[in-house]
Amino acid sequence: MDWILDFYNYRVAVQYVPEFTRGMLATIWISLVSLVLSLTIGTVAAIMRMSANPVLWRISAGYVQAIRSTPLLIQIYVIYFSLPALPLLGRRLDELEGGIIALGLNAGAYMSEIIRAGIESISRGQIEGAQSVGMTYLQRMRYVVLPQAFANVLPPLLGQTAVLIKDSSLVSFIGVFELFGAGLTVLSERLMPNEAFLTVAVGYLAIYGVMLFFSNYAQRRLGGVRG
Amino acid sequence: MLSAGWVGFGADTMVDVIWITMPFLLAGLWMTFKISLVTILCGSILGFAVGMLRTVGGWLVSATLGIYIHALRGTPFLVHLYVIYFMLPALKIPWLQFEAFPAAVIALSLYTSTYVAEIVRAAIQAVPRGQSEAARSVGMTAAQCMWHVVLPQALKLMIPPMGGVYVIIIKGTSIVSVIGISELVRAGEHATQRHPRELMLIYGMTALMYFAYCYPVLRIARWAETKFGSVRLPS
Repeated sequence: MDWILDFYNYRVAVQYVPEFTRGMLATIWISLVSLVLSLTIGTVAAIMRMSANPVLWRISAGYVQAIRSTPLLIQIYVIYFSLPALPLLGRRLDELEGGIIALGLNAGAYMSEIIRAGIESISRGQIEGAQSVGMTYLQRMRYVVLPQAFANVLPPLLGQTAVLIKDSSLVSFIGVFELFGAGLTVLSERLMPNEAFLTVAVGYLAIYGVMLFFSNYAQRRLGGVRG
Repeated sequence: MLSAGWVGFGADTMVDVIWITMPFLLAGLWMTFKISLVTILCGSILGFAVGMLRTVGGWLVSATLGIYIHALRGTPFLVHLYVIYFMLPALKIPWLQFEAFPAAVIALSLYTSTYVAEIVRAAIQAVPRGQSEAARSVGMTAAQCMWHVVLPQALKLMIPPMGGVYVIIIKGTSIVSVIGISELVRAGEHATQRHPRELMLIYGMTALMYFAYCYPVLRIARWAETKFGSVRLPS
């Protein structure tokens, strides 16, 4: 049994359970807030991209292109170092808020591409029907187009959410404590990389497993609705 | 122009900073280029093998490789990088002792292989069933059918999504800066320590360099998609 303790000393991992739990909750919380932010940004960007106004769709296309062809780490650094110049809500933003903004902006670009595909999958007749019963543009979007669009692209949206959860590990480099940061704590206090990062990996796998379960459930459920 | 550089922080104008840091950042870009090129080669070979085995292998092989893919897909690349970087010394191979470059390439290749494997599998499955049935019915063995009929058609479908994978790799190389490889992000960090006032300028230059590398790849991938058609990248 010695070689197992050599490779992975579970007693050390057990000692750090409070840190890992705190980190996992932080990862889930950061991911949830970033997810809401990215879906909002993504929806707005998708609608802008499909507008007839050339200024609007060029802004949206440029945003998506810029995010897609630069690494997230650079985006996080740029946002983090511009925080002192960003006094939103009447005060300086902290690392956590900066990290969430960076994650939301990054995922928002990918989400907008997926949501756009979803909106484009809605048949013309749906929109014409909504128009003919006298709905305004916003009502059409809110009650007819977006609900169906989101339902159609739910699997890729969940896949992108899984990517977002994994990407949230990068905000540990601007000093935000989350699951990967808990691993870094164990590494620096005990110099035990396996105990630190294999445990972290199990934590991420647990979140991923729950995501897979929801994804399968959603696909079954939606498949059932559509017959 | 360069003489005032060491007198004090912030003594340089923006043009000076660009002039001084550019060769440094270009060296970083060259490292990023090298890592991404080695990785796309190793990752594609590994991913092709995994994807093929998963398609033609029995249920046991397929299930094992499925676990491999899910384990790598379910954890952040950062975690793979740290695990591999710190585990290599335990292998007791002299030239792998805490060497950052092999650790980075191995971690990135494993990560890439999961994407490539899914693309290979999807492309093979996208070839119409009638093709292989026809090949088998004229007396080809399963291997001949795969080699002469299915793969040539599937390979064409694999080309466009590989562009997306290449961009994922390029962006992934930014993360290996944390184990001390002087690629573009690391070079940018060093430059910002020398010129703290021009931090946004330097990170902006870094971002532009990534853009200059990634954007053509994305454009070529889109062109290839209109030419060859594509399979959907599993997300």
